[in-house]
Amino acid sequence: MTSNSTHSQDISPTDTKTKLTLTILSVWHIIFTVGALTGALLLWQGTTETADWLKIIFSIFLVLGAIFSVLAVFSIRQRKHRGRAISLAVNYLGFLASFFGLLHVTGFFTGIDSLGENFSKGLPYMGLAFVGYLIGSVGDRYQDNRPSIAQKFRKTAQVLGALGGILFLFAVGIIPGILSFISEFTSLPPILLLLSTIIFGVMVWLMWREPTRIAMNTRSKDQLMMEGYLFLSPNLIGFLFFFAGPLLFSLYSSFTDSDAFGNANWIGLENYQEIFNITIEPLEYIDQLAKEVINIEVYDELYRFNIFGKHYVIGAEDQLFWISLGNTIKFVLLAVPMSVIPALLLASVLNSKLPGMKVFRAIYFVPSVAAVVGVAMIWRWLYNSTVGYLNYFITGFVEFVNSTAGSQLLTDPQVGWTSDTQVALISVAIMAAWQWTGFNTVLFLAGLQNIPGVLYEAATVDGANPWQQFWNVTLPMLAPTTFFVLTTTTINAMQIFDQVFVFTRPPGGPGTSTTTIVLYLYKQGFQNFRQGYASALAWVLFLLIFGLTLAQYMRQRAGDEAI
Amino acid sequence: MSTYRIGIFLRNLLLYITLTFFAFVMLFPFLVMVFTSLKEANDTYRFPPKLLPRAPITMAVEGFEEELPLYYVDNEGVQDKFVLIEKTVKVGEYAAANQLDTTYIRELDLVTETAGKTVIYEGEEVPLYDITVNGETIPMVRIARTALGRFADPNDPSKTLLQNLRDSEPVEKLTWHPENYKEVINLHGMDRALTNTALITILVVLGQLVTSVLGGYAFARLNFPGRDSLFVIYLGTIMIPFVVVITPLYQLMIMLGWVDRLAALIMPWIFTAYGTFLMRQFFITIPKEIEEAAILDGASRLQILWTIFLPASAPALATLSTFTFLYAWNSFFWPLVVINTGNESNRVLTLAVSVLGGRAADAPNLVLAGAAIAILPPVIIYIFGQRFFVESSTSSGVKG
Repeated sequence: MTSNSTHSQDISPTDTKTKLTLTILSVWHIIFTVGALTGALLLWQGTTETADWLKIIFSIFLVLGAIFSVLAVFSIRQRKHRGRAISLAVNYLGFLASFFGLLHVTGFFTGIDSLGENFSKGLPYMGLAFVGYLIGSVGDRYQDNRPSIAQKFRKTAQVLGALGGILFLFAVGIIPGILSFISEFTSLPPILLLLSTIIFGVMVWLMWREPTRIAMNTRSKDQLMMEGYLFLSPNLIGFLFFFAGPLLFSLYSSFTDSDAFGNANWIGLENYQEIFNITIEPLEYIDQLAKEVINIEVYDELYRFNIFGKHYVIGAEDQLFWISLGNTIKFVLLAVPMSVIPALLLASVLNSKLPGMKVFRAIYFVPSVAAVVGVAMIWRWLYNSTVGYLNYFITGFVEFVNSTAGSQLLTDPQVGWTSDTQVALISVAIMAAWQWTGFNTVLFLAGLQNIPGVLYEAATVDGANPWQQFWNVTLPMLAPTTFFVLTTTTINAMQIFDQVFVFTRPPGGPGTSTTTIVLYLYKQGFQNFRQGYASALAWVLFLLIFGLTLAQYMRQRAGDEAI
Repeated sequence: MSTYRIGIFLRNLLLYITLTFFAFVMLFPFLVMVFTSLKEANDTYRFPPKLLPRAPITMAVEGFEEELPLYYVDNEGVQDKFVLIEKTVKVGEYAAANQLDTTYIRELDLVTETAGKTVIYEGEEVPLYDITVNGETIPMVRIARTALGRFADPNDPSKTLLQNLRDSEPVEKLTWHPENYKEVINLHGMDRALTNTALITILVVLGQLVTSVLGGYAFARLNFPGRDSLFVIYLGTIMIPFVVVITPLYQLMIMLGWVDRLAALIMPWIFTAYGTFLMRQFFITIPKEIEEAAILDGASRLQILWTIFLPASAPALATLSTFTFLYAWNSFFWPLVVINTGNESNRVLTLAVSVLGGRAADAPNLVLAGAAIAILPPVIIYIFGQRFFVESSTSSGVKG
């Protein structure tokens, strides 16, 4: 230890306090290394029911922590900035892990439920705090000419805000919450976690302080780096934990027969094989039974077709996947044009600088803010085959035409919007297009407003009529927007779920006429609990979407070059 | 010149007609929702459908205990308003055997058989009845039996007439039944769903603002190794559909013990690549000079963020908030997966409405009241903060 301090003195002059700090940090890192390695070993000794892969991940983290701790000790001795960076990273991550671990074991996260229970009692006080905020913002108007009044307003606002906040906390039960939090500290894990949270926290603080920073020869560039990671860390860690991690796990899971209850065996490509496994066999005559030509223990009949006078039957191992894929493609082909073409039309009209356009734009956007579930309920009612408005309007129209023509020109179709297997998917597409049109209109409008007016002036000088202008100026200039709108709408349409789940009874019905890929995935993953298979379906869907987007992108690029 | 003006006028007229038509298409379903949710249950199933909620008018009439419903009746060729005093009066349709086209309607109870006389009618031997027409009694055959309603003049209840009840149109007034909302909230657990949704939305918006601002600032202004490649990864993940992570995320929730818990609806949504991207794009437009001056004055990064960046980025924050608000409020798939639909205390609005749609399928007024509770808060907020909603949609990439 003495040699350590004398050694470091050679590099930069440091006061005794800082030297002590660095010694404490080094000792801590040695203790931590030993602790982490022991922990990693103990993890495999005990009879805990933790899953193996979880143990592996924990062990990796602990061993990595230990290795970096050792590195940190050496670098701290040499007063290299790297040591500070490693030490801060290890301690910061340790701090976060123990802090969130503490919150977890003390039931903080599940305690949000009781907050939900009492939330309504706190709402009036929240309103009080909001009134305080409003008073404060009114006061800001006097800031320039009558600062004393602004000051008074701000005081009132602060008092009201604080009062509202405190009363809110009491109303939603902060005291029972704290009491139950404290009562958790009778067992060992919370106490240990609290202790380690404090220790890690103190270590981070010791290393972060200005004197230590100077002693560790941190340059401003290094400091900038540390700050960068620090600022990004909440986002990055959450992102890794809740998105990137699950994303990788999903890929792994698609190669297993995982069932959501912790049982998973590696089965390689079997899931994907099952999804894509199809067979084509020739038929001897047109209505020959499928079981005579294909192995019906594996395949279900999917489709029959006829080429050059010969009949064939297609069988698929997962018939429902192909049906849902077909439904999804049909849905995309219906809903995308229905929500993009009217949007383009409306946007071009809204772009004419007539009065009142903002009002119309505002109206068109309303469906996009409404919850899909609620919208589906409304449309179920509009689609009602006996008393719904849609059939009523159609009947009215048919009667009008017939009475004008004086003959039975049209017959009233009396569409079974939700009960007819031929129509149900169209009904869903109309509903979805209705909801998406306004959003697309706003996107197109923004694109149109970016087109320089000079181009139209030039076109007018050249004698182009409005239609030619639209075709030769607007559409080419709008291509990036169109690409964006088409891509996002297609991506949304490929993932259609909420609409069919709520709108159709039973979800995906009648029959399988509205079963889409995501709905099928949901049924496999959360009703049959074949989560590995569901993951494989998800990746197939992702690759489809990715391929489509790429293809649209290539086409747009090609189009750009042609111009 | 004037033909040109007429042309312009006609063109504009056409434009406005188109726009108004589409405005009607966009708003009509919402009008149906609001008005149906204020109807009585039996007022919803009527054909032809009527938009506004109506209720039959009832009147107190002398000699009757209960109030009686008022109907339009055909009183000797004049339309009049009578009250219904008896729903089913059994009547027969009678005609003289030699003159079957002229029929007379008489109450069964008031008609007696002509003693001992029968006649062959449609191949069967049937009795004849004494029917009085203009004081003259004629034997007639009964050719049909039916039931009619008995209506009385409210001013003179002794004056009555018979009329087919099903074809009679009730006299109605416009009403509304806001108690539908009360029923949905109290009986179908919508109150808890509403406060849960509000709580979740508030926490998700706040949490996402914090992480996005910090992350966006780091990406925009702080130089650290790996920043740009990390940013590209962030951007790339925006495109990945949520369904890809849904099963592992569900398993993560099982591991953390958050299945059926509100935490599962909050925590995963606080960290998003999209929000970070949005804030980074905005922060990058703020001039560097201001920041450098503040650093020279010895301000810390957090102080700079708080005093310089946040006040300047109010529009971006509002945009991100509205976007996140809509997402959190309207999300359905994830709550459906992670919250048991039977769990009334931890449900969110979208789930509650979906359950209500199945449970009260025969009461559209209640279902649509539930839908209105889910739909109206975002719509109302939209009306006040329209600008930010529109901006949040265009900022998603079209400006490039």
